[in-house]
Amino acid sequence: MDLSLMAILLLIGSFITYFVSRSNKKVGSYLTILITLFALMYVYILKNNIGLTYELFGVITFKVTYLGWYFSIIMATVYFSAAFFNPFWMEKFLYPSQYNLMYLLSFLGTIGLFFSNDLLTIFIFWEITVWTSTFIIPLGKSRKAGVMYFVISSIGSMGLLFTLMLMYNKVGTLEISKVFNMLANEPKLASIVFVMFILSGLTKMGIFPFHIWLPQAHGNAPNTFSPVLSGGLVKMGGFITFLSVGVFPAYEAFKDGLHIAGIPILIYIMMLLGAVSIIVGTLMAIKSEDAKKLLAYSSVANGGYILIGILLADQLGLAGGMMHMLNHAFASAASFLAIAVVAYKTNTTKISELGGMIHKMPVTYTVFLISIISLAGIPPMGGFVSKWLIIQALADKGLLLIAFAAFFGSIGSFLYVFRPLSAVFLGQVAERNENLTPPSNMMRVPMIFLAGLVLYFGVLPRGVLEIIGKIQASVGITPVELNGQAIMAVNGNLDALKVFVIFGFGFVLALLLFLAFKKPRKVDLMDTYTSAEFIYTKELYHYAHDFYAPFERLYGNHPSVEKWADQISYKVKEVGDLVNKVFFNFNPSLSILWITVLIVIIYLGGVII
Amino acid sequence: MNLQILLIAIPLLLAFLSLLLKKQSNNLLLVAGVMNVAFLTIIQKGTTVIGGFQPPFGITLVVDNYSFMALVVLNILFLTTILMSRNSIEEYGSVLLVAMAGLNGMILTGDIFNLFVFLEITSITAYILASKNNNYKNAFHYLVIGTLGSGLFLFGIALLYGMFGTLNMHDLSIRIADVDSAVIVLPTFMIFIGLAVESKLMPFSSWVKGVLGNADDIVAPLIAGSYAATSLFVFGRLFSQVLVIDSSLKILLLTITVVTLVLGEFAAFSKSKIKEILLFSSIGQAGLVATLFVSGLVLPAVLQLINNVFSKVVLFTITGKIAKDTDTDEIAELRGIFADHKIIGVSFTIASLSLLGLPLFFGFYSKINVMFGLFSLNIYLIPALILFSTIIEGAYFIRMLLNLWNTGEEGEKSKLEYKTDKIVSFSKYKKIGVLVISIVIVLMGIFPSLLLDNLYGDKTLLNENNPEYIFEIKGGM
Repeated sequence: MDLSLMAILLLIGSFITYFVSRSNKKVGSYLTILITLFALMYVYILKNNIGLTYELFGVITFKVTYLGWYFSIIMATVYFSAAFFNPFWMEKFLYPSQYNLMYLLSFLGTIGLFFSNDLLTIFIFWEITVWTSTFIIPLGKSRKAGVMYFVISSIGSMGLLFTLMLMYNKVGTLEISKVFNMLANEPKLASIVFVMFILSGLTKMGIFPFHIWLPQAHGNAPNTFSPVLSGGLVKMGGFITFLSVGVFPAYEAFKDGLHIAGIPILIYIMMLLGAVSIIVGTLMAIKSEDAKKLLAYSSVANGGYILIGILLADQLGLAGGMMHMLNHAFASAASFLAIAVVAYKTNTTKISELGGMIHKMPVTYTVFLISIISLAGIPPMGGFVSKWLIIQALADKGLLLIAFAAFFGSIGSFLYVFRPLSAVFLGQVAERNENLTPPSNMMRVPMIFLAGLVLYFGVLPRGVLEIIGKIQASVGITPVELNGQAIMAVNGNLDALKVFVIFGFGFVLALLLFLAFKKPRKVDLMDTYTSAEFIYTKELYHYAHDFYAPFERLYGNHPSVEKWADQISYKVKEVGDLVNKVFFNFNPSLSILWITVLIVIIYLGGVII
Repeated sequence: MNLQILLIAIPLLLAFLSLLLKKQSNNLLLVAGVMNVAFLTIIQKGTTVIGGFQPPFGITLVVDNYSFMALVVLNILFLTTILMSRNSIEEYGSVLLVAMAGLNGMILTGDIFNLFVFLEITSITAYILASKNNNYKNAFHYLVIGTLGSGLFLFGIALLYGMFGTLNMHDLSIRIADVDSAVIVLPTFMIFIGLAVESKLMPFSSWVKGVLGNADDIVAPLIAGSYAATSLFVFGRLFSQVLVIDSSLKILLLTITVVTLVLGEFAAFSKSKIKEILLFSSIGQAGLVATLFVSGLVLPAVLQLINNVFSKVVLFTITGKIAKDTDTDEIAELRGIFADHKIIGVSFTIASLSLLGLPLFFGFYSKINVMFGLFSLNIYLIPALILFSTIIEGAYFIRMLLNLWNTGEEGEKSKLEYKTDKIVSFSKYKKIGVLVISIVIVLMGIFPSLLLDNLYGDKTLLNENNPEYIFEIKGGM
């Protein structure tokens, strides 16, 4: 099965979808579902073609590798699942046909990226994905979010371009497996190239300090595209991060330099950035009033885990990072889809305005529950396995500071995942939401599919870990050791199936006890006791409002990267205004002055030199 | 062979005719445009001797690969601009005919004084066009700066003639190669200033803001498209073939051009009116092209130049019409204006994204060529600055695009009811014109070798950087 052919078919398919959508929006959106399904099946079959190369237009070269296949399957699954929601949003968009076109084009960009065989192809598809998704974001609530997304992604792209040009100049080839090899013996050049290269991964994954675009973009994008942004596009950064330790000989090149706890200092600094992302993401998520921004900050935190795991580049850590990518993709996509359902029915994502959705949409509630359990890293879901692997690796290497951040993130995540669960789904239904109809089956199907995957990989992780093992072997790292359903590690083994069985017993026991005892008494939503005072603002005393106020007060006055970014933007504008005033004055005399000054400088320079 | 002179003579002749047949001047203009483009399909490379005096004493017209490319770009741009904005030409038909003659002359000529003459002709037409729609004060500003520039240009030519005794460009290039660069510092700089005024390099380009900021849909694409293309092509020929300079002066010139690039983008970022954003972007791009020419990278410079001028023609035509119909080009007042004009919006988007150098568009091909070229000379600072300015460029272009397509304040969903209530109407010529240019940009982005090989005849152009091949015909000597 020819990969170039699939790329061309996807390209043509996106344009056909555009023109079909111009005449009939709904049919166009069904086409997106079909096309993503076709691509998903195609990519699945490509597993038999591992190692083959293809080329396109003379410049683009593809190679089918386990790495590319792994990422593409994740991406195709997320795009396919989210596509089911497209038909419902067609009336809400100002440009539905444009949305469908960009949806499929960005999908093409990601698939092309993951199967690239040389740096120029990576760059081309990276840029295609960035600009096509930039046009989808402002169809939601914010134009500024689109600009921020594009600018921060550009910073990463420029790093990538600089790397590729530099390496081409030195080596003469851009093929991924060959281009970085000479850097193993040149630590100084390797440091520069490493920073430039991994910059693109950092900006895309939303690692501190480039994390500011995530809450803006994921929070304000159209509800049906946020799952793709969070579950899909952010993983592009993970791909580059993997290349930066897997293919780029990072550990070898820096082996003579400064080391902290056995890790070369540059890599350690990146891991610290990941650790800070975990902490910042967790704390900001705990504070969030909007469900989508909360999930976006959770993506920042999970991005930190992925970065740390991959940068460890060893038997357990790398496996943990890669598996966390898969788990986070599915769990995040599923939770965003669940919130999208709620938003579709109630027209809001502000947590304090919702409540009791479990009564109206129990399936959505279950999906959301499963996905946030995975996001928090609680067994028996997939997130637990990957976090276990990462923390094992951190403990094994003795990286205490980063392990602290990882534990902090884990515990903090219990706080922030519980907030939307209890405030949005549990509790009682607010009066204005009394008459909601249940969501249609077309919305339920992808959610159940994704939640099922989340559960499956938590119980039977062997399938994923085998593939990850093959990826590890392909870059020369010892694959993770498996024994039946158990994962063998230095400090103990994890048998996910056994954990699930024990959990199942516990669940059944709790269920029986619940059914046996008395039912709770229902109290009105706004029935608040205040020892003889009247309350005129009952809403403010409802538990969903200011959920974690005491905890939030601890870090209420935190410094904000958003403010720094705004200030930088303002400074650039000021320089521009200055240029405008000085060089583009209304009066021509000022220009003549500058010309005279320049001539004098030249003349004096000529005399002096 | 003698068709070369017709490229200048026919527009000039028709210009004089149009003074007699005032009512037909616009039609004569169209005739001249079509004939020029038609001639280009049959023109042969070579030189034409004018007036019987053999070079290096007489004037020659040179068509080599470089000037052929320049002629194709210029004449196609000019014709397209006229076709798209026919209704705005009003009584300026004769002026445009003279402009066409002058622009073609600037590219064709092989004699440096003749270049000055054509530069003056072109500048005069530019001043007249700049004053369209009562834009007198800004046209006067342009006149003042332009005259100073031409005067200094003439001074530089006089110095060169005094030093080397010849005015033929090829002859000069041979003689200059024999002397030390320090000798020609002053004339080089004078000529640089003369061209920099037209080419919009800072700090000589203070006229651009007033002129382009108030230009309508025929003047703006002409000045930012045809005039810019010609002056930069001439800049390229002079600075990569004739006045080849070495390190000390080169560093100063590079500083000026790189500063133009960076500060132009900064200035564009601070603006909120579409025309002002676009004109500062033109200034920045001119700085980039000039940087490449001064560094000796001719092919990347030409590619970047072509990308810039074609995109700017599309952008300025659309913006000019919007400003003409609605009396404003503030982005905040035009939110969602593309909702009713999807073809125009798509073309506008394609042109902007090509300027940013995004893949699937021609700008990507030129950007990659530029980067490869600079890195192959082991220059690292300039690419870093170019990439930095690209980030800023991305910020303001995307901000402009997203706000022109989508409506609503921050925090509001992009809905049809928040759309601006300004109304614009685009003629079908405009729609067809911008759409065709956009399709060409996309096609050249995906299959760049198609068109370029046809022009050059052979060879893939990535890493093809041989000035010898480009400046093939040596001025007839």
